[in-house]
Amino acid sequence: MTNRCTLQLTVLLCLTGAALSVNYGKLRFKLRSSNSACQTLLWQLITSPQHCLDDRMDFQIPRQVEQPQQFQKEEAMVVMYEMLQQIHTIFRRSFSNAGWNETIVEKLLEELDDQMDCLETALEEIKQEGKFPWENRTALRLKTYYLGILQYLKAKFYGRCAWTVVQVEIFRNVSFLNGLIGALQD
Amino acid sequence: MEEGCLAGSEGSWVLEDWWLEQRDEIAVASKGREGGGPPAVNSLPVLGAIGGTKLKPPQNVEVDIIDDTFTLRWARSKEPAGNVTVSADYLIPGIVDNWTKLPGCQHVTSATCDFSSLKMNVYEEIKLRIRAEEGNNTSPWHELDTFIPFQQARIGPPKVHLEAEDKAIAINISPPGAEDSVMWQQENPQYSVIIWRNMSGAQPWNETHHSRFPRIKIHKLMPETTYCVRVKARLLLHPNPAEFSPVHCVNTTAPLHPVPTPRLALATTPSSSIVENELPAPENIQVILENDTYVLKWDYTHDNVTFEAQWLKSYLKRMPGSESEKWVQVQGCERAPVARCAPPPDMFRKRFYVRVRASRGNSSSPWSREEEFDTRRRVVIPPLVVALKPLSSHSLQVSVGFQDQTELQHYPLTYEVTFWENASNAERKTFVEQRADFTVLSLKPRTVYCADAQALLEDRPRSQRSNVACATTEAGGAPGAPLAAGVSAALTVLLVLCAALALGKLVHYVFFPAGKPPATIDEYFPEEPMKNLLLSTSVERTEECFIIENVDAVSAKEVNRLDEDHKTYTSQASQDSGNYSIEDESGESGGSQAGEELGQRGAGAGARSAVGFA
Repeated sequence: MTNRCTLQLTVLLCLTGAALSVNYGKLRFKLRSSNSACQTLLWQLITSPQHCLDDRMDFQIPRQVEQPQQFQKEEAMVVMYEMLQQIHTIFRRSFSNAGWNETIVEKLLEELDDQMDCLETALEEIKQEGKFPWENRTALRLKTYYLGILQYLKAKFYGRCAWTVVQVEIFRNVSFLNGLIGALQD
Repeated sequence: MEEGCLAGSEGSWVLEDWWLEQRDEIAVASKGREGGGPPAVNSLPVLGAIGGTKLKPPQNVEVDIIDDTFTLRWARSKEPAGNVTVSADYLIPGIVDNWTKLPGCQHVTSATCDFSSLKMNVYEEIKLRIRAEEGNNTSPWHELDTFIPFQQARIGPPKVHLEAEDKAIAINISPPGAEDSVMWQQENPQYSVIIWRNMSGAQPWNETHHSRFPRIKIHKLMPETTYCVRVKARLLLHPNPAEFSPVHCVNTTAPLHPVPTPRLALATTPSSSIVENELPAPENIQVILENDTYVLKWDYTHDNVTFEAQWLKSYLKRMPGSESEKWVQVQGCERAPVARCAPPPDMFRKRFYVRVRASRGNSSSPWSREEEFDTRRRVVIPPLVVALKPLSSHSLQVSVGFQDQTELQHYPLTYEVTFWENASNAERKTFVEQRADFTVLSLKPRTVYCADAQALLEDRPRSQRSNVACATTEAGGAPGAPLAAGVSAALTVLLVLCAALALGKLVHYVFFPAGKPPATIDEYFPEEPMKNLLLSTSVERTEECFIIENVDAVSAKEVNRLDEDHKTYTSQASQDSGNYSIEDESGESGGSQAGEELGQRGAGAGARSAVGFA
């Protein structure tokens, strides 16, 4: 009941004409609840990972993502958005994969879209405030990282084990996202 | 010897400054020799250099990247035409550490070369160098600054497709770059659209629209009018410059009117042709909560029509390509006879878009404007918990919060608190506060007051009314009553200690005498008074202590009662303060447990405000 109420109270904060400055408390709340839902959905999606041990791959996520405390909150938002849109791109390609629970994938895409929607508004606001961190090398490193994932899938012909390996990797990503949310302090 | 040595090379001989310098040196060397003989071989420039050329590397070199097309450009040489060519190398630190020939840029005779065929990671740094060549004669390498292709690239024009209605134009945008684009394959570009009216003699009009999605519909346009658009893409996180698409123009269709509508005909342009039996699109779509049920409703002023509603999950808006096949019929709203319907509850999750159209017979109106809804905005706020705490004889503190821990303090909640004296026909006063803790002043002493509250948040339904909490203001009296109570308590404690000490001495004296007087004391102290003095003194002390003990026992009981009831000390005051029970459980518990009952406080927790009640 408590969790249901909490989720029900997740309000989209990114309304047009919203306050001029970002309310980081609201943003954290919204992102945390949605991120938690993503973790649950990914956990449901991953099936029999023990059968795919031979397909494991070290995709080498940028180290900075594992140490979110070094980021300013504006940088954290950019890094988070980059991760979310890349994860969204990866799972968009999964619809053709036979045997997947499409309902779960759909819900996952909804959650990712939700978080992106929120961050988009917040990022536009910090642009207005002149605080946008244009020179963000971590975002470029993340693009290389996710490109590696896409190339891995392609090389493995989008096989079931390749997807399982990728799902496990994205599950790790979501836990890193939690750390980045913590960097969004007022 | 420099590489400009062209001994034996074919082609024209070009006198460079270098050669002129050498000629002067030869002349100086000749003068320095006695007899003016021929210069020593070693002092001469290498013969091969005589008549050789010194090529300069290409000037004004720049890299131009647009989408997936990589071009190297340089200024054309001012030298006489010859077989001068240009070649370039590349290096990718950490990946290709040796200079490697750049494909598409070897022995180029023009002023540009295309190296798009190079397969590279566009997010990694790359370094280029370029030189001029003429046979075996080459210029020095000119190295360009390291760059990252993704950061350098310009965003090319997106592809645009227009669909016109009578008062709206739908713009379908395909992302820039080829379908197998590498540069933007991982991006979600956003778009800017400039639209203007192309009507001679009319007042100029244009608008700029920004969209996060590849499909935009612009409404409130004029029928039978030519509109033109230009579109460009942009990236949210990167400041890459972008190019506009070519101009695309389209004519909106003739106005749509149901027949007969003579009054509407006046609104058309003179050259318009009214299309009979055509229906306008519904407007003002809303989602409202009626008796805990979500209802879809819209405006439509015409009769004898049925309505069809469709919905689209918000995340599908991000998907490139046509989304038309992804709209889904709203169950219960397939052929609604009135301008409202009740969709199934499972539709109301997260965010979604809704569109509606009207139908009559075989003809249908255009789709309405697509409205986005987030029903979480309309979720009922859980009930508040209210607590009252007496602060003084004239004030109470009101605290509101939620039962369960939430982060609602981040939301602009407003609290409506109803406050009243717990008496029949008492006036109820409502305070509207944005702070979760505030003080009500100007109250009567020893009076029970009660309160309940509701929370409001923007366009949401109000929360249910909270519990009713009551508390009693403290007893009235002199302003120094608390101080007097404290002093009295201190004196009482001293008296108690004195009494205890005296009692202890008495007990010791009676039960543990210091020594029995010798039997011969009578011999030495025959006089009765002396003996009696000894005995009578003890008796007197006992009596005095007894009296003191009685008084202090009464005082101790009073003190205990005071601690429980938070009242002032004087019993007279307690008798004169009124008729409200101080053992009122609800009031007492509500006041004393204010901090314990509440979960997360609402907005402004910790900030106090005082409100007068009188």
